[in-house]
Amino acid sequence: MSNQTLVDAEWALAHFDDAKVVFIEVDEDTEAYAGNHIKNAIALNWKTDLQDPVRRDFVNKEQFEALLSAKGVSNDDTVVLYGGNNNWFAAYAYWYFKLYGHGDVRLLDGGRKKWELDGRELVSEVPTRAETKYVAKDQDLSIRAFREDVLKAIGVQNLVDVRSPDEYAGRLLAPAHLPQEAARIGGHIPTAANIPWSKAANEDGSFKSIAELTSLYEGAGVDLKKDTVAYCRIGERSAHSWFVLHELLGVKNVRNYDGSWTEYGSLVGVPVAVGDEPGSA
Amino acid sequence: MSACGAVVGGVSLDNIDIATQAVIQGVVTVGAAPANLGYVRLLDRNDEFVAEMPVSKLGEFRFFAAAGDWTIVTLVPGATKRTPTTAELGKIVDVNIDLS
Repeated sequence: MSNQTLVDAEWALAHFDDAKVVFIEVDEDTEAYAGNHIKNAIALNWKTDLQDPVRRDFVNKEQFEALLSAKGVSNDDTVVLYGGNNNWFAAYAYWYFKLYGHGDVRLLDGGRKKWELDGRELVSEVPTRAETKYVAKDQDLSIRAFREDVLKAIGVQNLVDVRSPDEYAGRLLAPAHLPQEAARIGGHIPTAANIPWSKAANEDGSFKSIAELTSLYEGAGVDLKKDTVAYCRIGERSAHSWFVLHELLGVKNVRNYDGSWTEYGSLVGVPVAVGDEPGSA
Repeated sequence: MSACGAVVGGVSLDNIDIATQAVIQGVVTVGAAPANLGYVRLLDRNDEFVAEMPVSKLGEFRFFAAAGDWTIVTLVPGATKRTPTTAELGKIVDVNIDLS
């Protein structure tokens, strides 16, 4: 798929040595970058770089500015994000860069998986970039939802649960590559539709066509003229779905609830639905 | 906050109470050799995606599922393979997958 916010391998190959293009790998598995990575790519750690070290929240504006300045990223650079897990954390970082107002951010379609499966070159050399003076904007809260927003959205706005059907129904409490947790209840936010993120991606991790993506959401009965909140377990799979809706399909009134089920499923007294049906408000 | 991302080869069973888990694990090989580059994805009984991880350098993978029927789809450069399996609570099911 070709889109201004989505680049393919050919585009990447043509821009490896462009000083104004910064490739950034974002992957939970930081050993992946240390082992090898796309030429001239730098790395961001979604947790140690992008999360507050004490509270469960993002780094603040000043911390984000210090991070990108130290990494050598300028405000007018084109940032191209990629990562493993079908670009889950890269999409999360994309949303995060947008949250702090970076101008030109793009995703490498298919991320690290497609790059590897296509047999493309990975290198071990770590590039050096001169320090910059990055200036972030205040958070754009039109793309971020908090728990109060989600509670108000029940039965009123679109809620889209992008986890797997078994997580949505409460049969699993986490993705099946992780141990199943006991401390959190299972289920979903009442009235949420279940449109798993994976339906938007091909097997190689690349995004499906615009026609297929449009059909996916319309077929699920989601009225995209209404405000929409997407959520998952911690907000990174729903960042992938936010990217599809907001950036590829051009739906502007979409927010990502980064608290997601980790927060909502631990709240006292809030309504919860279990099973395969959305439930009622 | 615990992450959602997959650990290469799967999460270790150290400090995991197996009695509460339905583990599916195995090794992917190409011919006689472990696949050192590849991905395994777990699909539910309706063929819906549930999880995916890169295999380790030794071709290893591990899922924590629920009791029931599952399908493992293995992706290595140039080849894919579907392997049905059944998980049980409190058990470790070994599924070795060869793509030769």
